[in-house]
Amino acid sequence: MAMLFRTHLRLALTSIKENRTRSFLTCLGIAIGIASIILILSLTGSVSKLITDEISDIGADLIVVRPSTTKDSITTIVEELTASNSFQKSNLAISDVDEIKKLESVTAVAPIAITHSTLTDEENTIPSATILGTTVDFNTIEPQTFRYGGFINDKNHENSVVIGPSLSLHLYNTTNPVGRTLLFHGERFIVVGVMENNDASINFDNVDFDSALIMDIKVLEKLVGSLQVQQINVKVATTSDLEETSSKIRETLIEKKSGDTNFTVSYGDDISHPASALLNIISGMLSLVAGISLVVGGIGVMNIMLVSVAERAHEIGIRKAVGASSSNILMQFMFEALILSILGGILGIALGYILAIFASSITPFAPYISWQIIAITFLTALVVGVIFGIYPALKAASKNPIDSLKHYR
Amino acid sequence: MNEEIIQIKGLTKRYGYGDTESFALKDFDLTIRRGEFIMIMGPSGCGKTTLLNIIGLLDRATSGEYILNGEDVAGISARRKARLRAKKIGFIFQNFNLIQDLSVLENVALPLVYVNRPRTVRLKNASDTLRRFHLQEREYYLPSQLSGGQQQRVAIARAIVSDPEIILADEPTGNLDSRASISVMEELKSIHEEGNTIIMVTHNPALTVYATRVINMLDGQIATDIKTVSDQNLPQKIEVKRTRGKAKKTRNSRRKR
Repeated sequence: MAMLFRTHLRLALTSIKENRTRSFLTCLGIAIGIASIILILSLTGSVSKLITDEISDIGADLIVVRPSTTKDSITTIVEELTASNSFQKSNLAISDVDEIKKLESVTAVAPIAITHSTLTDEENTIPSATILGTTVDFNTIEPQTFRYGGFINDKNHENSVVIGPSLSLHLYNTTNPVGRTLLFHGERFIVVGVMENNDASINFDNVDFDSALIMDIKVLEKLVGSLQVQQINVKVATTSDLEETSSKIRETLIEKKSGDTNFTVSYGDDISHPASALLNIISGMLSLVAGISLVVGGIGVMNIMLVSVAERAHEIGIRKAVGASSSNILMQFMFEALILSILGGILGIALGYILAIFASSITPFAPYISWQIIAITFLTALVVGVIFGIYPALKAASKNPIDSLKHYR
Repeated sequence: MNEEIIQIKGLTKRYGYGDTESFALKDFDLTIRRGEFIMIMGPSGCGKTTLLNIIGLLDRATSGEYILNGEDVAGISARRKARLRAKKIGFIFQNFNLIQDLSVLENVALPLVYVNRPRTVRLKNASDTLRRFHLQEREYYLPSQLSGGQQQRVAIARAIVSDPEIILADEPTGNLDSRASISVMEELKSIHEEGNTIIMVTHNPALTVYATRVINMLDGQIATDIKTVSDQNLPQKIEVKRTRGKAKKTRNSRRKR
């Protein structure tokens, strides 16, 4: 058996080498599909790695409360993306923050509420800036590094704001606007701090801090009216309190909302998963395209194998006449298809990582390489080879030797 | 006396049904002893090739009994048939049927692939067999680089490389000129002299001098069946498995004298 295995391998390699161009083009079909899968997995892998790293930076003493709206349904995501204001139907309220803060072992609570609105100063107007409403505790939970100034504090939080470096550039054409004012909903605020460029547009708060304005949530609510709290970050005293505190938060909120359980309380690695709706859509679309191109690649393998079987009908007849069984012939052609798709797979993995490295130079996503991704894509290539190789191989095996021998070329 | 290697009784091969029904073989009986060199003659369409294909387990009879080497092979599985083809039957065709992409050596070694011999053994056996047909220096040629006679000798080498019980030849000289025909027939004769059983289909009556038995077929049945050598005088099988090289040498030295 092992001997036949080696013989078939040798035969398949010979046949592939003889038809170099054709084999390469077939491999390329598989390779493109595999490369796009690698790219997607590398992308999503690096995104969740970014968030996991961030959480471990912040510390393991974090609990996150999120509304669990029907965010998984496509229409909600699309609605959210197309609306200029992202109206999440959150059932978290600002009053929940005070409720959570009353709990023992909770040291800091910071809600995250996002809205988009117009900002103006003397010269420039930003039509739809990201406004983040939170509390003074925000800086305790996620300490920000400041290029100039500092975070809002208990004394100045009613009329002060903190802005990101790129917003600073857009609004004031300078990196240091500390002390300058801006107009927001008819009120004048003083910029007390500019954050350092942190380049982490993907984070567990789902906010791009570089181009955001941070202000007190109660002041923001007064100005804007209704406000959706998209997340509440809670810091506990010690990590051993995580489990107990999170269940207490859950109980308190259920009681307060009279039985409504449409929210999640998570800590540790669970925090990292819902990164960004946009990312989900992009990787979903890419997966679909990759899947389609893989099917097309597979059809290419099948097509070439059918040609090969037709071309070699005479050979099949001869082999059968000298003693090859149908399963011998099946194996021979199966091997050929498998080798084509395996070569395509290897080529695709290489190509995928080259693309991922290229992508990393223009995005914040470092290529994420793990043996699991390589194993999964390699297996996928193998499965494609089996699925699309079996029909031509069966066709070859079922050829009648007498008819095939008449196929004299 | 040599034992009976093939027993065929009441063999029928029918093509089509109803109005299009026709018989390639009709209630055909034949017994073949080891060491016979049989030539089957007859007009086109009399069922010669069908008979050869059924004996060679490439085709299946509609009905009838076929015992090969004591084993009833009429109803055996396709896999078992392939095993028997690999081990017991050697085919020689009119159009040589060599694989054009493989070298002469690999073509000869082909049957050994399907009896699970290691590659080195395969190539060694094939090379030894080719030497006997004076084609050793052509081992790495492609079939298309050889003359017709040479190609047919390669095909004969392929047919005997796995030391089969019967050799089936379907008009082996049909595509050859008379010179090449003679060299091919001489090779077949020497193989026969080693005790091999050969069944050959031919249209050329001049070749019947090589045969020990001539069968004339007509409409799927035997018309005449003449034995020119008595069963007692058929050549005995020479054990050639390991000593093929030696056997060749003695034969060559005999020729030189």
